[in-house]
Amino acid sequence: MTKLPKCEDKKLGLLIDLDTCVGCHGCVVSCKEWNSSGGEKQLSDLNSHQKDPVGTFLNRVHSYERENSCTNETETFYFPRSCLHCEDAPCVTVCPTGASYKREEDGIVLVNEDDCMGCGLCAWACPYGARELDLVSGVMKKCTLCVDRIYSEELPPEDRVPVCVKSCPTGARAFGDFNDPNSDVSKKVKERGGVDLMPEMQTKPVNKYLLPRIKSKNSASSFGSVVEEETDATGLLGWVDRALSKI
Amino acid sequence: MHPAPSIILFTVLSGFGFGLISIVGLLQFLNQINEFDIIIFSGMGLFFSIIGLISSFFHLANKKNAIKSMSQWQTSWLSREAISSVLCLSIVVGNIGWVIVQNRYINDVGIMLFLLSLFTVFTTSMIYAQLKTVPSWNNMLTPAIFIFAALAGGSILLMDYASLVLLLIFGVLQVLFWYTADQSFIYKETSVGTALGFSKNEDIRSFDLAHTSRNYLLNEMVYKVARKHGVKMRYISFFSAFVLPMLLVLMFPGNFSVSVLVIASHLIGIYFSRWLFFAEAKHSVGFYYN
Repeated sequence: MTKLPKCEDKKLGLLIDLDTCVGCHGCVVSCKEWNSSGGEKQLSDLNSHQKDPVGTFLNRVHSYERENSCTNETETFYFPRSCLHCEDAPCVTVCPTGASYKREEDGIVLVNEDDCMGCGLCAWACPYGARELDLVSGVMKKCTLCVDRIYSEELPPEDRVPVCVKSCPTGARAFGDFNDPNSDVSKKVKERGGVDLMPEMQTKPVNKYLLPRIKSKNSASSFGSVVEEETDATGLLGWVDRALSKI
Repeated sequence: MHPAPSIILFTVLSGFGFGLISIVGLLQFLNQINEFDIIIFSGMGLFFSIIGLISSFFHLANKKNAIKSMSQWQTSWLSREAISSVLCLSIVVGNIGWVIVQNRYINDVGIMLFLLSLFTVFTTSMIYAQLKTVPSWNNMLTPAIFIFAALAGGSILLMDYASLVLLLIFGVLQVLFWYTADQSFIYKETSVGTALGFSKNEDIRSFDLAHTSRNYLLNEMVYKVARKHGVKMRYISFFSAFVLPMLLVLMFPGNFSVSVLVIASHLIGIYFSRWLFFAEAKHSVGFYYN
Protein backbone atom coordinates (compact mmCIF):
# COMPACT_ATOMS: atom_id res chain seq x y z
CA MET A 1 0.00 0.00 0.00
CA THR A 2 1.46 3.33 -1.03
CA LYS A 3 -0.04 5.30 1.85
CA LEU A 4 2.71 6.24 4.29
CA PRO A 5 2.33 4.99 7.87
CA LYS A 6 1.30 7.75 10.29
CA CYS A 7 4.01 6.88 12.76
CA GLU A 8 6.58 4.12 12.83
CA ASP A 9 7.50 2.24 15.99
CA LYS A 10 11.14 2.37 15.02
CA LYS A 11 13.11 4.43 12.54
CA LEU A 12 15.89 2.16 11.46
CA GLY A 13 18.59 3.74 9.36
CA LEU A 14 22.25 4.45 8.80
CA LEU A 15 24.55 7.09 10.19
CA ILE A 16 27.41 7.82 7.81
CA ASP A 17 30.51 9.65 9.01
CA LEU A 18 32.12 11.52 6.11
CA ASP A 19 35.09 12.34 8.32
CA THR A 20 35.94 8.67 8.65
CA CYS A 21 35.03 7.29 5.23
CA VAL A 22 38.15 6.68 3.14
CA GLY A 23 36.31 5.95 -0.11
CA CYS A 24 37.40 2.32 -0.41
CA HIS A 25 34.07 1.21 -2.01
CA GLY A 26 34.04 -1.80 0.33
CA CYS A 27 30.39 -1.12 1.20
CA VAL A 28 29.52 -0.95 -2.52
CA VAL A 29 31.08 -4.33 -3.23
CA SER A 30 29.72 -6.11 -0.15
CA CYS A 31 26.24 -4.68 -0.82
CA LYS A 32 26.31 -5.98 -4.37
CA GLU A 33 27.58 -9.36 -3.19
CA TRP A 34 25.00 -9.83 -0.41
CA ASN A 35 22.07 -8.70 -2.53
CA SER A 36 23.05 -10.85 -5.52
CA SER A 37 23.65 -14.14 -3.78
CA GLY A 38 20.27 -14.80 -2.25
CA GLY A 39 18.77 -17.04 -4.94
CA GLU A 40 16.45 -15.57 -7.57
CA LYS A 41 16.83 -11.89 -6.75
CA GLN A 42 19.88 -10.42 -8.43
CA LEU A 43 21.51 -7.07 -8.98
CA SER A 44 22.35 -7.78 -12.56
CA ASP A 45 25.24 -6.62 -14.73
CA LEU A 46 25.30 -6.26 -18.50
CA ASN A 47 28.45 -6.36 -20.68
CA SER A 48 30.46 -6.91 -17.52
CA HIS A 49 33.59 -7.91 -19.46
CA GLN A 50 33.01 -5.80 -22.54
CA LYS A 51 32.83 -2.21 -23.58
CA ASP A 52 30.29 -0.06 -21.68
CA PRO A 53 29.49 -2.31 -18.73
CA VAL A 54 26.36 -1.35 -16.77
CA GLY A 55 25.07 -2.78 -13.55
CA THR A 56 22.61 -2.26 -10.74
CA PHE A 57 23.95 -1.08 -7.40
CA LEU A 58 22.15 -0.01 -4.24
CA ASN A 59 25.03 2.05 -2.93
CA ARG A 60 27.51 4.31 -4.71
CA VAL A 61 30.52 6.19 -3.34
CA HIS A 62 31.26 9.63 -4.79
CA SER A 63 34.47 11.64 -4.37
CA TYR A 64 34.44 15.40 -3.82
CA GLU A 65 36.79 18.24 -3.03
CA ARG A 66 36.00 21.53 -1.36
CA GLU A 67 37.76 24.66 -0.26
CA ASN A 68 38.54 24.90 3.44
CA SER A 69 37.50 28.48 4.18
CA CYS A 70 39.89 28.52 7.17
CA THR A 71 43.13 27.40 5.55
CA ASN A 72 42.31 28.08 1.87
CA GLU A 73 43.41 24.55 1.11
CA THR A 74 41.45 22.00 -0.87
CA GLU A 75 40.19 19.04 1.13
CA THR A 76 38.81 15.82 -0.28
CA PHE A 77 36.09 13.64 1.14
CA TYR A 78 34.12 10.59 0.08
CA PHE A 79 30.37 10.33 0.04
CA PRO A 80 28.45 7.03 0.12
CA ARG A 81 24.98 7.50 -1.39
CA SER A 82 22.11 5.06 -0.82
CA CYS A 83 18.42 5.06 0.18
CA LEU A 84 17.74 7.32 3.17
CA HIS A 85 14.47 5.54 4.13
CA CYS A 86 12.67 8.90 4.24
CA GLU A 87 9.72 9.45 6.55
CA ASP A 88 7.87 11.26 3.76
CA ALA A 89 9.11 9.01 1.00
CA PRO A 90 7.92 10.43 -2.35
CA CYS A 91 8.97 7.20 -4.09
CA VAL A 92 6.28 5.34 -2.15
CA THR A 93 3.32 7.61 -2.79
CA VAL A 94 3.90 7.91 -6.57
CA CYS A 95 3.92 4.13 -7.09
CA PRO A 96 0.83 3.11 -9.11
CA THR A 97 0.94 -0.63 -8.40
CA GLY A 98 1.51 -0.69 -4.64
CA ALA A 99 4.91 -2.35 -5.07
CA SER A 100 6.64 0.42 -3.10
CA TYR A 101 5.84 0.59 0.57
CA LYS A 102 7.17 1.82 3.89
CA ARG A 103 6.99 -0.57 6.80
CA GLU A 104 5.05 0.55 9.83
CA GLU A 105 7.11 -1.46 12.30
CA ASP A 106 10.56 -0.09 11.46
CA GLY A 107 10.19 2.49 8.67
CA ILE A 108 12.17 0.53 6.09
CA VAL A 109 11.20 1.44 2.49
CA LEU A 110 10.93 -1.65 0.31
CA VAL A 111 9.85 -2.77 -3.16
CA ASN A 112 7.67 -5.83 -3.58
CA GLU A 113 9.13 -7.08 -6.85
CA ASP A 114 6.08 -9.26 -7.58
CA ASP A 115 3.98 -6.10 -7.97
CA CYS A 116 6.47 -3.75 -9.69
CA MET A 117 5.74 -2.97 -13.35
CA GLY A 118 9.03 -1.18 -13.98
CA CYS A 119 7.60 2.23 -14.88
CA GLY A 120 10.50 3.99 -13.17
CA LEU A 121 8.40 6.80 -11.68
CA CYS A 122 9.69 6.14 -8.14
CA ALA A 123 13.25 6.63 -9.35
CA TRP A 124 12.19 9.99 -10.79
CA ALA A 125 10.51 10.96 -7.52
CA CYS A 126 13.61 10.24 -5.41
CA PRO A 127 15.83 13.33 -5.10
CA TYR A 128 18.85 11.22 -4.15
CA GLY A 129 19.06 8.69 -6.97
CA ALA A 130 18.59 5.84 -4.53
CA ARG A 131 16.62 3.61 -6.88
CA GLU A 132 17.89 1.82 -9.96
CA LEU A 133 15.83 -0.21 -12.40
CA ASP A 134 17.31 -3.63 -12.93
CA LEU A 135 17.86 -3.99 -16.65
CA VAL A 136 17.48 -7.76 -16.68
CA SER A 137 14.54 -8.40 -14.33
CA GLY A 138 12.80 -5.10 -15.20
CA VAL A 139 11.91 -4.31 -11.59
CA MET A 140 13.06 -1.51 -9.32
CA LYS A 141 15.91 -2.18 -6.92
CA LYS A 142 16.77 -0.28 -3.78
CA CYS A 143 18.51 -0.59 -0.43
CA THR A 144 16.57 -2.93 1.87
CA LEU A 145 18.65 -2.00 4.92
CA CYS A 146 19.54 -5.70 4.68
CA VAL A 147 16.17 -6.63 6.11
CA ASP A 148 17.17 -10.25 5.51
CA ARG A 149 20.20 -9.84 7.80
CA ILE A 150 19.00 -7.60 10.61
CA TYR A 151 16.10 -9.92 11.57
CA SER A 152 17.88 -13.14 10.66
CA GLU A 153 17.80 -15.89 13.27
CA GLU A 154 20.46 -17.93 11.52
CA LEU A 155 23.25 -15.35 11.50
CA PRO A 156 25.26 -14.86 14.69
CA PRO A 157 24.01 -11.78 16.60
CA GLU A 158 27.05 -9.64 15.72
CA ASP A 159 26.27 -10.10 12.01
CA ARG A 160 22.68 -8.87 12.29
CA VAL A 161 23.49 -5.45 10.81
CA PRO A 162 23.39 -4.24 7.19
CA VAL A 163 26.29 -5.72 5.27
CA CYS A 164 27.68 -2.27 4.38
CA VAL A 165 28.01 -1.51 8.10
CA LYS A 166 29.57 -4.90 8.80
CA SER A 167 32.10 -4.59 5.98
CA CYS A 168 33.21 -0.97 6.52
CA PRO A 169 36.89 -1.17 7.52
CA THR A 170 36.96 2.26 9.17
CA GLY A 171 33.66 2.13 11.04
CA ALA A 172 32.30 5.06 9.05
CA ARG A 173 28.85 3.50 8.92
CA ALA A 174 26.60 2.84 11.91
CA PHE A 175 23.17 1.23 12.03
CA GLY A 176 20.47 1.84 14.60
CA ASP A 177 17.09 3.19 15.64
CA PHE A 178 16.86 6.95 15.22
CA ASN A 179 13.56 6.97 17.11
CA ASP A 180 15.28 5.86 20.30
CA PRO A 181 17.08 8.85 21.86
CA ASN A 182 19.40 6.48 23.75
CA SER A 183 20.62 4.55 20.72
CA ASP A 184 24.24 4.99 19.70
CA VAL A 185 23.26 6.60 16.39
CA SER A 186 20.92 9.11 18.07
CA LYS A 187 23.58 10.07 20.60
CA LYS A 188 26.17 10.56 17.88
CA VAL A 189 23.78 12.66 15.80
CA LYS A 190 23.20 14.88 18.82
CA GLU A 191 26.88 15.09 19.73
CA ARG A 192 28.28 15.77 16.26
CA GLY A 193 25.28 17.43 14.61
CA GLY A 194 23.99 14.91 12.09
CA VAL A 195 22.51 16.46 8.95
CA ASP A 196 19.84 15.63 6.37
CA LEU A 197 20.51 15.63 2.63
CA MET A 198 18.44 18.15 0.64
CA PRO A 199 16.16 19.01 3.58
CA GLU A 200 14.35 21.44 1.23
CA MET A 201 12.84 18.47 -0.61
CA GLN A 202 10.81 17.79 2.57
CA THR A 203 11.39 14.07 2.46
CA LYS A 204 12.52 13.89 6.11
CA PRO A 205 15.33 11.36 5.61
CA VAL A 206 15.95 8.89 8.44
CA ASN A 207 19.59 8.32 7.50
CA LYS A 208 21.89 11.06 8.76
CA TYR A 209 25.34 12.19 7.72
CA LEU A 210 28.18 13.55 9.86
CA LEU A 211 30.06 16.14 7.82
CA PRO A 212 33.86 16.34 7.69
CA ARG A 213 35.17 18.46 10.54
CA ILE A 214 36.90 21.67 9.46
CA LYS A 215 40.61 21.10 9.86
CA SER A 216 42.19 24.00 11.72
CA LYS A 217 45.12 26.08 10.46
CA ASN A 218 47.36 24.72 13.22
CA SER A 219 46.72 21.08 12.48
CA ALA A 220 47.59 21.65 8.85
CA SER A 221 50.80 23.60 9.50
CA SER A 222 52.08 21.34 12.29
CA PHE A 223 51.81 18.43 9.88
CA GLY A 224 53.83 20.43 7.36
CA SER A 225 56.57 21.21 9.90
CA VAL A 226 57.25 17.55 10.61
CA VAL A 227 58.11 17.00 6.99
CA GLU A 228 60.09 20.11 6.31
CA GLU A 229 61.94 20.92 9.50
CA GLU A 230 65.66 20.06 9.36
CA THR A 231 67.34 18.61 12.44
CA ASP A 232 71.00 17.87 12.99
CA ALA A 233 71.67 14.23 12.27
CA THR A 234 73.55 12.10 14.83
CA GLY A 235 75.55 8.86 14.74
CA LEU A 236 76.69 7.46 11.41
CA LEU A 237 74.46 9.85 9.43
CA GLY A 238 75.89 12.71 11.48
CA TRP A 239 79.42 11.72 10.48
CA VAL A 240 78.34 11.48 6.78
CA ASP A 241 76.72 14.88 7.11
CA ARG A 242 79.79 16.46 8.64
CA ALA A 243 82.14 14.78 6.13
CA LEU A 244 80.05 15.89 3.16
CA SER A 245 79.84 19.42 4.55
CA LYS A 246 83.61 19.68 4.50
CA ILE A 247 83.96 18.86 0.79
CA MET B 1 15.39 13.64 -18.20
CA HIS B 2 15.57 10.97 -20.86
CA PRO B 3 13.20 11.83 -23.73
CA ALA B 4 11.88 8.30 -24.27
CA PRO B 5 9.92 8.10 -27.56
CA SER B 6 7.32 5.81 -25.97
CA ILE B 7 6.49 8.40 -23.31
CA ILE B 8 6.55 11.35 -25.71
CA LEU B 9 4.22 9.58 -28.16
CA PHE B 10 1.99 8.64 -25.26
CA THR B 11 1.58 12.22 -24.03
CA VAL B 12 1.19 13.63 -27.57
CA LEU B 13 -1.27 11.07 -28.96
CA SER B 14 -3.35 10.41 -25.87
CA GLY B 15 -3.43 14.16 -25.20
CA PHE B 16 -4.80 14.75 -28.69
CA GLY B 17 -7.22 11.84 -28.42
CA PHE B 18 -8.64 12.94 -25.07
CA GLY B 19 -8.75 16.53 -26.36
CA LEU B 20 -10.89 15.40 -29.28
CA ILE B 21 -13.16 13.43 -26.94
CA SER B 22 -13.56 16.44 -24.66
CA ILE B 23 -14.50 18.77 -27.55
CA VAL B 24 -16.99 16.24 -28.95
CA GLY B 25 -18.39 15.91 -25.42
CA LEU B 26 -18.73 19.67 -25.08
CA LEU B 27 -20.49 20.01 -28.43
CA GLN B 28 -22.73 17.07 -27.59
CA PHE B 29 -23.70 18.79 -24.34
CA LEU B 30 -24.41 22.04 -26.22
CA ASN B 31 -26.38 20.28 -28.98
CA GLN B 32 -23.92 21.62 -31.56
CA ILE B 33 -23.00 18.33 -33.24
CA ASN B 34 -24.82 15.69 -35.28
CA GLU B 35 -24.90 11.96 -34.55
CA PHE B 36 -22.66 11.03 -37.44
CA ASP B 37 -19.90 13.41 -36.31
CA ILE B 38 -20.08 12.07 -32.76
CA ILE B 39 -19.40 8.57 -34.06
CA ILE B 40 -16.56 9.68 -36.39
CA PHE B 41 -14.76 12.09 -34.09
CA SER B 42 -15.20 10.18 -30.81
CA GLY B 43 -13.98 7.14 -32.71
CA MET B 44 -10.93 9.11 -33.81
CA GLY B 45 -10.33 10.29 -30.25
CA LEU B 46 -10.65 6.71 -29.06
CA PHE B 47 -8.14 5.56 -31.68
CA PHE B 48 -5.49 8.15 -30.79
CA SER B 49 -5.94 7.69 -27.03
CA ILE B 50 -5.55 3.94 -27.32
CA ILE B 51 -2.46 4.24 -29.55
CA GLY B 52 -1.00 6.59 -26.93
CA LEU B 53 -1.78 4.23 -24.07
CA ILE B 54 -0.30 1.27 -25.96
CA SER B 55 2.82 3.35 -26.54
CA SER B 56 3.12 4.05 -22.79
CA PHE B 57 2.76 0.32 -22.16
CA PHE B 58 5.98 -0.21 -24.12
CA HIS B 59 7.81 2.00 -21.64
CA LEU B 60 7.22 -0.51 -18.85
CA ALA B 61 10.11 -2.81 -18.02
CA ASN B 62 7.87 -5.43 -16.41
CA LYS B 63 4.68 -5.35 -18.47
CA LYS B 64 2.94 -8.28 -16.83
CA ASN B 65 2.16 -6.20 -13.74
CA ALA B 66 0.63 -3.29 -15.69
CA ILE B 67 -2.90 -4.18 -14.59
CA LYS B 68 -1.88 -3.57 -10.96
CA SER B 69 -1.37 0.10 -11.78
CA MET B 70 -5.09 0.67 -11.22
CA SER B 71 -4.82 -0.11 -7.51
CA GLN B 72 -3.18 2.91 -5.82
CA TRP B 73 -5.51 5.75 -6.77
CA GLN B 74 -5.44 7.11 -3.23
CA THR B 75 -1.87 8.40 -3.51
CA SER B 76 -0.58 7.92 -7.05
CA TRP B 77 -1.32 10.19 -10.02
CA LEU B 78 -0.17 7.48 -12.41
CA SER B 79 -2.71 5.12 -10.90
CA ARG B 80 -5.44 7.77 -11.12
CA GLU B 81 -4.52 8.28 -14.76
CA ALA B 82 -4.81 4.56 -15.50
CA ILE B 83 -8.28 4.37 -13.92
CA SER B 84 -9.50 7.64 -15.38
CA SER B 85 -8.40 6.83 -18.93
CA VAL B 86 -9.99 3.38 -18.93
CA LEU B 87 -13.20 4.77 -17.43
CA CYS B 88 -13.31 7.61 -19.94
CA LEU B 89 -12.67 5.36 -22.94
CA SER B 90 -15.34 2.90 -21.74
CA ILE B 91 -17.88 5.72 -21.63
CA VAL B 92 -16.80 6.83 -25.13
CA VAL B 93 -17.43 3.30 -26.44
CA GLY B 94 -20.79 3.25 -24.65
CA ASN B 95 -21.70 6.65 -26.07
CA ILE B 96 -20.80 5.65 -29.63
CA GLY B 97 -22.77 2.41 -29.22
CA TRP B 98 -25.80 4.31 -27.90
CA VAL B 99 -25.69 6.79 -30.81
CA ILE B 100 -25.40 3.96 -33.37
CA VAL B 101 -28.25 1.93 -31.86
CA GLN B 102 -30.63 4.75 -30.89
CA ASN B 103 -29.58 7.29 -33.56
CA ARG B 104 -29.75 10.10 -30.99
CA TYR B 105 -27.58 11.22 -28.13
CA ILE B 106 -27.88 12.14 -24.47
CA ASN B 107 -26.55 15.67 -23.76
CA ASP B 108 -25.50 14.95 -20.20
CA VAL B 109 -23.18 12.16 -21.30
CA GLY B 110 -21.40 14.87 -23.29
CA ILE B 111 -20.54 17.00 -20.27
CA MET B 112 -19.43 13.89 -18.42
CA LEU B 113 -17.04 13.01 -21.27
CA PHE B 114 -15.81 16.61 -21.46
CA LEU B 115 -14.88 16.68 -17.77
CA LEU B 116 -13.57 13.14 -17.51
CA SER B 117 -11.31 13.41 -20.57
CA LEU B 118 -9.84 16.69 -19.33
CA PHE B 119 -9.38 15.15 -15.90
CA THR B 120 -7.48 12.30 -17.59
CA VAL B 121 -5.14 14.78 -19.30
CA PHE B 122 -4.76 16.53 -15.94
CA THR B 123 -3.75 13.27 -14.24
CA THR B 124 -1.19 12.66 -17.00
CA SER B 125 0.31 16.10 -16.42
CA MET B 126 0.34 15.63 -12.64
CA ILE B 127 2.59 12.58 -13.02
CA TYR B 128 5.25 15.14 -13.97
CA ALA B 129 4.03 18.22 -12.10
CA GLN B 130 4.10 16.40 -8.74
CA LEU B 131 7.86 15.79 -8.88
CA LYS B 132 9.75 18.17 -6.58
CA THR B 133 12.92 16.65 -7.99
CA VAL B 134 12.33 18.30 -11.39
CA PRO B 135 11.62 21.97 -10.64
CA SER B 136 10.82 22.96 -14.23
CA TRP B 137 7.87 20.54 -14.12
CA ASN B 138 6.89 21.16 -10.51
CA ASN B 139 4.42 24.01 -11.12
CA MET B 140 0.91 24.52 -12.45
CA LEU B 141 2.14 25.50 -15.93
CA THR B 142 2.68 21.80 -16.61
CA PRO B 143 -1.02 20.85 -16.28
CA ALA B 144 -1.91 24.09 -18.06
CA ILE B 145 0.13 23.31 -21.22
CA PHE B 146 -1.02 19.69 -21.25
CA ILE B 147 -4.71 20.62 -20.96
CA PHE B 148 -4.62 23.48 -23.47
CA ALA B 149 -2.55 21.48 -25.95
CA ALA B 150 -5.25 18.79 -25.75
CA LEU B 151 -8.13 21.29 -26.09
CA ALA B 152 -6.47 23.19 -28.95
CA GLY B 153 -5.62 20.00 -30.85
CA GLY B 154 -9.09 18.56 -30.29
CA SER B 155 -10.87 21.72 -31.41
CA ILE B 156 -9.13 22.12 -34.79
CA LEU B 157 -11.37 19.64 -36.63
CA LEU B 158 -14.59 20.66 -34.94
CA MET B 159 -14.45 24.38 -34.33
CA ASP B 160 -13.08 27.29 -36.33
CA TYR B 161 -12.76 30.57 -34.42
CA ALA B 162 -13.02 28.94 -30.99
CA SER B 163 -9.99 26.83 -31.87
CA LEU B 164 -8.06 30.05 -32.58
CA VAL B 165 -8.69 31.18 -29.00
CA LEU B 166 -7.61 27.81 -27.61
CA LEU B 167 -4.48 27.81 -29.79
CA LEU B 168 -3.65 31.31 -28.63
CA ILE B 169 -3.97 30.35 -24.94
CA PHE B 170 -1.81 27.31 -25.58
CA GLY B 171 0.85 29.41 -27.36
CA VAL B 172 1.05 31.91 -24.49
CA LEU B 173 1.26 29.13 -21.87
CA GLN B 174 3.96 27.35 -23.86
CA VAL B 175 6.14 30.46 -24.03
CA LEU B 176 5.56 31.06 -20.32
CA PHE B 177 6.59 27.48 -19.57
CA TRP B 178 9.83 27.84 -21.52
CA TYR B 179 10.55 31.18 -19.92
CA THR B 180 10.06 29.75 -16.41
CA ALA B 181 12.08 26.63 -17.15
CA ASP B 182 15.03 28.80 -18.19
CA GLN B 183 15.16 30.78 -14.97
CA SER B 184 17.90 29.86 -12.57
CA PHE B 185 15.52 30.47 -9.66
CA ILE B 186 13.80 27.18 -10.29
CA TYR B 187 16.55 25.58 -8.21
CA LYS B 188 16.10 28.19 -5.53
CA GLU B 189 17.14 26.02 -2.62
CA THR B 190 18.99 22.99 -3.95
CA SER B 191 22.67 22.84 -4.88
CA VAL B 192 25.52 20.36 -4.72
CA GLY B 193 26.02 21.77 -1.20
CA THR B 194 22.56 20.83 0.09
CA ALA B 195 22.72 17.51 -1.79
CA LEU B 196 25.70 16.59 0.41
CA GLY B 197 24.34 18.07 3.64
CA PHE B 198 26.29 21.36 3.55
CA SER B 199 24.94 24.87 3.08
CA LYS B 200 23.70 25.99 -0.32
CA ASN B 201 26.73 28.04 -1.30
CA GLU B 202 29.39 25.54 -0.29
CA ASP B 203 31.99 25.26 -3.07
CA ILE B 204 32.16 21.52 -3.85
CA ARG B 205 33.40 19.73 -6.95
CA SER B 206 33.51 16.11 -7.92
CA PHE B 207 37.08 14.93 -8.49
CA ASP B 208 36.47 11.31 -9.34
CA LEU B 209 33.64 9.19 -10.68
CA ALA B 210 31.46 6.99 -8.51
CA HIS B 211 31.45 4.43 -11.30
CA THR B 212 33.45 3.99 -14.45
CA SER B 213 30.66 3.89 -17.02
CA ARG B 214 27.13 5.21 -17.34
CA ASN B 215 24.34 3.72 -15.26
CA TYR B 216 20.55 3.78 -15.04
CA LEU B 217 20.53 7.08 -13.14
CA LEU B 218 22.68 8.86 -15.69
CA ASN B 219 20.78 7.44 -18.65
CA GLU B 220 17.39 8.22 -17.17
CA MET B 221 17.86 11.45 -15.23
CA VAL B 222 21.15 13.09 -16.11
CA TYR B 223 20.49 12.73 -19.81
CA LYS B 224 22.82 15.06 -21.67
CA VAL B 225 21.35 16.06 -25.00
CA ALA B 226 22.66 18.35 -27.65
CA ARG B 227 21.10 21.31 -25.87
CA LYS B 228 22.79 23.61 -28.37
CA HIS B 229 19.83 22.93 -30.68
CA GLY B 230 17.32 23.58 -27.90
CA VAL B 231 16.49 27.13 -29.00
CA LYS B 232 16.12 26.14 -32.66
CA MET B 233 13.83 23.29 -31.64
CA ARG B 234 11.70 25.70 -29.64
CA TYR B 235 11.23 27.82 -32.77
CA ILE B 236 10.34 24.76 -34.84
CA SER B 237 7.93 23.58 -32.16
CA PHE B 238 6.31 26.99 -31.74
CA PHE B 239 5.94 27.54 -35.48
CA SER B 240 4.59 24.06 -36.17
CA ALA B 241 2.31 23.71 -33.13
CA PHE B 242 1.04 27.27 -32.95
CA VAL B 243 1.93 29.79 -35.72
CA LEU B 244 1.19 27.66 -38.79
CA PRO B 245 -2.10 26.24 -37.38
CA MET B 246 -3.20 29.80 -36.46
CA LEU B 247 -2.44 31.09 -39.96
CA LEU B 248 -4.12 28.17 -41.73
CA VAL B 249 -7.25 28.34 -39.58
CA LEU B 250 -7.46 32.09 -40.16
CA MET B 251 -7.06 31.72 -43.93
CA PHE B 252 -9.28 28.66 -44.40
CA PRO B 253 -11.85 28.61 -41.58
CA GLY B 254 -14.00 25.51 -41.61
CA ASN B 255 -12.08 23.83 -44.44
CA PHE B 256 -11.90 20.17 -43.43
CA SER B 257 -8.99 19.08 -45.64
CA VAL B 258 -6.89 22.05 -44.47
CA SER B 259 -7.81 21.07 -40.90
CA VAL B 260 -6.17 17.69 -41.40
CA LEU B 261 -2.98 19.46 -42.46
CA VAL B 262 -3.29 21.77 -39.45
CA ILE B 263 -3.59 18.78 -37.12
CA ALA B 264 -0.50 17.15 -38.63
CA SER B 265 1.51 20.33 -38.20
CA HIS B 266 0.16 20.88 -34.68
CA LEU B 267 0.99 17.34 -33.53
CA ILE B 268 4.53 17.53 -34.95
CA GLY B 269 5.00 20.78 -33.05
CA ILE B 270 3.64 19.23 -29.86
CA TYR B 271 6.02 16.30 -30.35
CA PHE B 272 8.96 18.71 -30.44
CA SER B 273 7.56 20.54 -27.43
CA ARG B 274 7.29 17.31 -25.43
CA TRP B 275 10.75 16.20 -26.50
CA LEU B 276 12.10 19.46 -25.09
CA PHE B 277 9.85 19.06 -22.03
CA PHE B 278 11.82 15.94 -21.12
CA ALA B 279 15.24 16.63 -22.60
CA GLU B 280 15.61 20.06 -21.01
CA ALA B 281 14.31 19.05 -17.58
CA LYS B 282 16.98 18.69 -14.93
CA HIS B 283 16.68 16.29 -12.02
CA SER B 284 18.20 16.93 -8.60
CA VAL B 285 20.24 13.70 -8.72
CA GLY B 286 22.45 15.52 -11.27
CA PHE B 287 23.99 17.47 -8.38
CA TYR B 288 25.75 14.31 -7.19
CA TYR B 289 27.38 14.05 -10.60
CA ASN B 290 28.39 17.70 -10.86
